[in-house]
Amino acid sequence: MTATTPDALATGTQAAWRRWLRRHGWTFGVWILLVVLVAYYSTLIPAFGSFQLASIINNGAPLVFLAAAQAVIVIAGGIDLGVGGMMVLTNVTAARFMEGQPLATTLVIGVIILLLAAAINAGVGWIITTSKVPDIVITLGSLYFFQGLALAVLPNPGGGTSEGFRWLFTGSPRGIGSNPYPAAILISVVILIVAWWIGKTRSGLSLYAVGSDKTAAYLSGIRAARVKIVSYAVGGALAAMAGLALTAIAGRGNPTAVGGNATLNSVAAIVLGGVALTGGIGSVIAVVPAGLILFFLNPILTAMGVDPNRAQIVQGVLIVVVMMVTGLIEWRRRRRV
Amino acid sequence: MSTDLSSGADVKSDPSQPTVWHRSARYLATHPHLVLIGVLIFLILMTGAVESNYLSINGLRNSALFAVPIGVLAAGQTILMLTGGIDLSAAMIATGAAYVAANQSPKGAAFAIIAGLAVGVLAGAANGIGVGVFQVNPLIMTLAMAGILLGLFTSWAQTIFSGSTRMGDFIRTLGGGSFFGRSIPWAVVVWAVLSIFVIYMLRRSGFGRNLYAIGDNGIAARLSGMRAWQVLIVVYIIAGVFGAIAGLLLGGRVGAVDLQLAGAFLLPSVAAAVIGGTSIFGGVGTYTGTILGALILGVLQSLLTFLGAGQAIQQMLYGAIIIGLSWLYTRISATQ
Repeated sequence: MTATTPDALATGTQAAWRRWLRRHGWTFGVWILLVVLVAYYSTLIPAFGSFQLASIINNGAPLVFLAAAQAVIVIAGGIDLGVGGMMVLTNVTAARFMEGQPLATTLVIGVIILLLAAAINAGVGWIITTSKVPDIVITLGSLYFFQGLALAVLPNPGGGTSEGFRWLFTGSPRGIGSNPYPAAILISVVILIVAWWIGKTRSGLSLYAVGSDKTAAYLSGIRAARVKIVSYAVGGALAAMAGLALTAIAGRGNPTAVGGNATLNSVAAIVLGGVALTGGIGSVIAVVPAGLILFFLNPILTAMGVDPNRAQIVQGVLIVVVMMVTGLIEWRRRRRV
Repeated sequence: MSTDLSSGADVKSDPSQPTVWHRSARYLATHPHLVLIGVLIFLILMTGAVESNYLSINGLRNSALFAVPIGVLAAGQTILMLTGGIDLSAAMIATGAAYVAANQSPKGAAFAIIAGLAVGVLAGAANGIGVGVFQVNPLIMTLAMAGILLGLFTSWAQTIFSGSTRMGDFIRTLGGGSFFGRSIPWAVVVWAVLSIFVIYMLRRSGFGRNLYAIGDNGIAARLSGMRAWQVLIVVYIIAGVFGAIAGLLLGGRVGAVDLQLAGAFLLPSVAAAVIGGTSIFGGVGTYTGTILGALILGVLQSLLTFLGAGQAIQQMLYGAIIIGLSWLYTRISATQ
């Protein structure tokens, strides 16, 4: 989208500001919304301190990572229903093998799990590109497969991890505390690396190219199939981050968790974060506040005295309204151009 | 064309003389349902080999009973997928309908059934308005609807729908009862009637053709004068009603209803439509294929039960079969 007539007439700074707003307006808006919600929340409860902040960031982390995973894949033109299954699978794998190990060993296991998850999901991507079956179908299969595999790895809830590992994700060796920094830093580092990769590097930008027009990308020399496989691999690794975060938070693995629900939340989060489900549009950075907001809505509504079941209704209505607003903005933009 | 299906060098020897492999591959490409029927028969025989009692009316009856809710829910998924949509709220609609019907059962079977179906109509209409009028992505619209319905029914369960959750006798007979000396379940009869309706609608009615047209090329459909939004609202309502029927049958079979009733059937209903060759992007598919898909999943369930496979193996096999069958299906129809 290059400058239209009004932009060209405006002065330099104004034009630059407008262009920035058009490009990053949604990201900006979602961050503002998160800040407003946190501010509002702090007025609702008697004492808002680092404990509440830590609780939001720590417990929101799995959804943030999962949403980032979904965002990377959707930007490249796919959709992965299996990310929730991958989260459950990595959660139980980590819990099973990390139990009773020292920090160094748990870190090594964590890295191995990340790499394995990337490799397995790359395999899913390979199946999609080779079979030419729609993404949603193959990943529906992979969702079941991962969920079953999780039950095979750890038949019953249990397992454990090291205290240091829990501190890394939650700022406390017991997984609960008032130190928000480790989780905040971890999320920032991971998301910034992914955002830098997808926005600044050749291999990352090709995800946008393939997502917006696969044929055009192919004709301009991008190996579309390989790009798609890469997007699935990165998505798999990010989903594994979500699983590791879960292990650290809960200190155990839960194979009976429903991965499908987590997947659906991740889809809702990226939509709220402004990622187009048709591919090629969106930012990984906007997905972070969106994931936190989705997680955060429940405590807010509870603090407002809304019964938790109603909170579910509000959440659903909110997502629909956001989608309607997006549709309206898109429609107006198209009419203007 | 591609000779992927054939093995051996004889195929390449003389292109002007189609070999048996060639001809059968082409025949299968034009009749992909035959592959599904083959898979179904293979699975039935395999189940029979594992448990010889299975090859009886009683054994097959169990598979059919398991396939019914999947098949009815998948009828909704099929007609929606033809328009390029999907219904992730179908299981929640089913649960809600069953819950309302069970709650209203003391007021008589007719009232209970109508109340249950009303849930499907209302939720379907809301979905249809969101997708058809406001152009919300169907995935998101129905996903949000599932959340909204769950919230509504959880809070209503304590207020306006508190009380009995036991299904009335008539619906219990419909869902779990059989006739001809316990051989043919009523639920299968309901499914058969519904199937005839759906197949007739898709193949013979103008409305059915509209569904294919919207899914194939929505812009072209609109430019040729079709009011796509009206068609979408109606099709989402029909899908909602199918969801409600599935819920009533399932609730009738189980007897007592809770809010987890149909949740496990959502993804299988999508899987049945997909295995049956309905394209998730719209415009391609038949309900006959979906029926076969639902039956395959039903028999598979019996097979896994007889094998004594644990939950882990079951889910992994389930996933592998979705991937494998959809791959096979795409491969075969691509050789056309």
